[in-house]
Amino acid sequence: MLRLLIKKQLAEVFRNYFYNPKKNEMRSKGAIVCWFVFFVLLMAGVLGGMFTGLAVMLCKPLADANTGWLYFDIMSGIAILLGAFGSVFNTFSGLYLSKDNDLLLSLPIPVKYIITSRLLNVYLMGAMYSATIILPMLIVYWVKTGLSFSKAVCGIVLFVIITMIVMILSCVLGWVVAKISQKLKNKSFITVLAALVFIAAYYFFYFKAQTLLQNLVMNAQLYGDKVKGSAYWLYLFGRTGEGDFAAAAIFSAVIAALLILVWLILSRSFLSITTSSGKVEKIKYVEKDVKRKGAFTALLAKEFAKFTSSPNYMLNCGLGILMIPVCGVLLLVKGSALLPLLDSVFGERSGCTGVLICSALCAMSSINDIAAPSVSLEGKSLWIAKVLPVTPKSVLRAKLSMHLILTLIPMLFAVICGAVVVNASLAEKLLMCAVALLFTLFSSAGALAAGVKMPNLNWTNEIVPIKQGGAVITAMFGGWLVVAAFAGLYMLVGYKLGAVPYLGIWAVLFAAGFVLLLRWLDTKGSRAFAEL
Amino acid sequence: MLKIENLTKQYGSKKAVDDLSLHIRPGEIYGFIGHNGAGKTTTLKCIVGILSFEAGEIHIDGNSIKTEPLKCKRELAYIPDNPDIYEFMSGIKYLNFVADIFEIPENERQEKIRKYGDMFELTKDLAQPVSSYSHGMKQKLAIISAWMHSPKLIIMDEPFVGLDPKASHLLKEMMHEHCKKGNAIFFSTHVLEVAEKLCDKVAIIKQGRLIKSGTMEDVKGDDSLEDVFLELEAE
Repeated sequence: MLRLLIKKQLAEVFRNYFYNPKKNEMRSKGAIVCWFVFFVLLMAGVLGGMFTGLAVMLCKPLADANTGWLYFDIMSGIAILLGAFGSVFNTFSGLYLSKDNDLLLSLPIPVKYIITSRLLNVYLMGAMYSATIILPMLIVYWVKTGLSFSKAVCGIVLFVIITMIVMILSCVLGWVVAKISQKLKNKSFITVLAALVFIAAYYFFYFKAQTLLQNLVMNAQLYGDKVKGSAYWLYLFGRTGEGDFAAAAIFSAVIAALLILVWLILSRSFLSITTSSGKVEKIKYVEKDVKRKGAFTALLAKEFAKFTSSPNYMLNCGLGILMIPVCGVLLLVKGSALLPLLDSVFGERSGCTGVLICSALCAMSSINDIAAPSVSLEGKSLWIAKVLPVTPKSVLRAKLSMHLILTLIPMLFAVICGAVVVNASLAEKLLMCAVALLFTLFSSAGALAAGVKMPNLNWTNEIVPIKQGGAVITAMFGGWLVVAAFAGLYMLVGYKLGAVPYLGIWAVLFAAGFVLLLRWLDTKGSRAFAEL
Repeated sequence: MLKIENLTKQYGSKKAVDDLSLHIRPGEIYGFIGHNGAGKTTTLKCIVGILSFEAGEIHIDGNSIKTEPLKCKRELAYIPDNPDIYEFMSGIKYLNFVADIFEIPENERQEKIRKYGDMFELTKDLAQPVSSYSHGMKQKLAIISAWMHSPKLIIMDEPFVGLDPKASHLLKEMMHEHCKKGNAIFFSTHVLEVAEKLCDKVAIIKQGRLIKSGTMEDVKGDDSLEDVFLELEAE
């Protein structure tokens, strides 16, 4: 029975990898393999690549200073933060808000089996994120210091320990969120606010990390002795990665005890939280004068209502709304320090600062993938859009418009900030703005196209299309790949052309890409939507 | 009002609806009965434009759902068997959303919301999110939204499921009243007694094919509709 539940849970997570909803049939074996390879390449290539660089930077100096354990502490800390941060809000909805709760609870299935299958889902999601750090951490260490039996075994144990910590942390935080959520009125707003505070703290430490890490590497022995003296458990934790069996055994035991504790708390509270309808204050209906809206405005308002009603949607797909203007402000405040640094690194490539700033803002724009899950989020309510006298084209245009309104306005602000601080000609500044804005148009249309091509209307938890859907992954990582090509090509050959012609070419490419995608959405995309 | 000619709808190689023809005239309440999986819901979804179909034609008030879907949809309303309404909206926001799409003037929509809301005792809950509604309340909301723009044709899939007896009674009265004005209603049901008492005409579908249709007298004669239905099913 447990195996069946786990299979159901995994089948839902990876449903689009096995099943083609458009053709209403299972994918071929080749297609399944291709989808998984694509997914692994995205995770390993983009996230894994980033953290491999950090591991290479830290490993050798710390290991040489005989503080390899400190290297494991730092990398593990980041892995735990990323894993827990990536899944804390999913834990709440994944554990408690699944639409099949009532069905499963009505069947003769022990509640502990339901919790276990849900926990496994949380574990896998956390492990997926944290593995992009843990694996480079271990591999780089083994390559730099040589692999031995004890290091290999303890490395695997460390992997399990870290991923378990991620799950425990996610569960504890998820449980706290669940408890608070039961007592809240404006859940969406408060959840988003709490998450933003968390994110702000995360990025504050992230930006401080560069200075801290450099300082740490230079004074590894000194800090190592201090940490060892004041927080011996941290030393022991890091020793696990270095191949210390005793440390591995101690931490395994501690994690096992914590796991049991979490299990006890969850199993005692699961039923009451799952079956609770929360504290819903009765809102008295008072008839008010309403202003008639046009059909398109009504569709757009509906999209905004969906977006603002879901903390998951806002946090996972709309973080750029905040991040992009923050980048703009940072450019204004820190630009004078950042630009000479870029010039000193890439000085021989004239005009690179403008291109790099533009690339950074475009990468930020790709964080906003609001349109990507919007088709799937119609879910079982899709019949409404199909029955009302509105064209599929106007439904899709409403989704695209919301994405653009929420991304273009912050982007306009940020790119003007960038243009103000960069030392370039007026033409280059204008083209910088044009490229960033045209990329936003292109990526938003791309996100919606991915949503139409990869719909999942049969989810039982909205986090599935929001976070794990093929459309979201394609939109975000696809956008980043385009940005990488844009920046990388300039560094390789584009600088020979000069910034103005190079930016001009990309402006034309993004504009053409947007027009083509829009045309596709208006024609084939609309037909595909009508067929869903 | 509704003309279905040789409708065929396939799921892969399986024919869900096979060469089905029906004509529903203004003023008629037309019942649609058949066992589970007979093709009732598929037929209704084809009529309202949710599903495309391989062969045949569907005309609503003279317009083809294939070539002029918007004109058709302006004249019809649909109530599905499971009213999955936008849960992120409140009841009143949903009704205003539908009213905006159908461009219903402010005064007219408020009057209708008041009338039907009070009738179904839903007015006091209209500010609540749809996610807090029971199945019956969602069904009532779907009914109110369907009646908002005074459609010429209303298509309903098992409309009485989940409704309390009072609401069921009200719905039947509304159906009669609506059709007296020259509009038409086509609905599926498993409750044969309801079909027998409510409908002017009835169609029986089996394995995607229409096996009998016509006025209630033509179809059942002196027997009960249940006897006729069971007899036809057994053949």
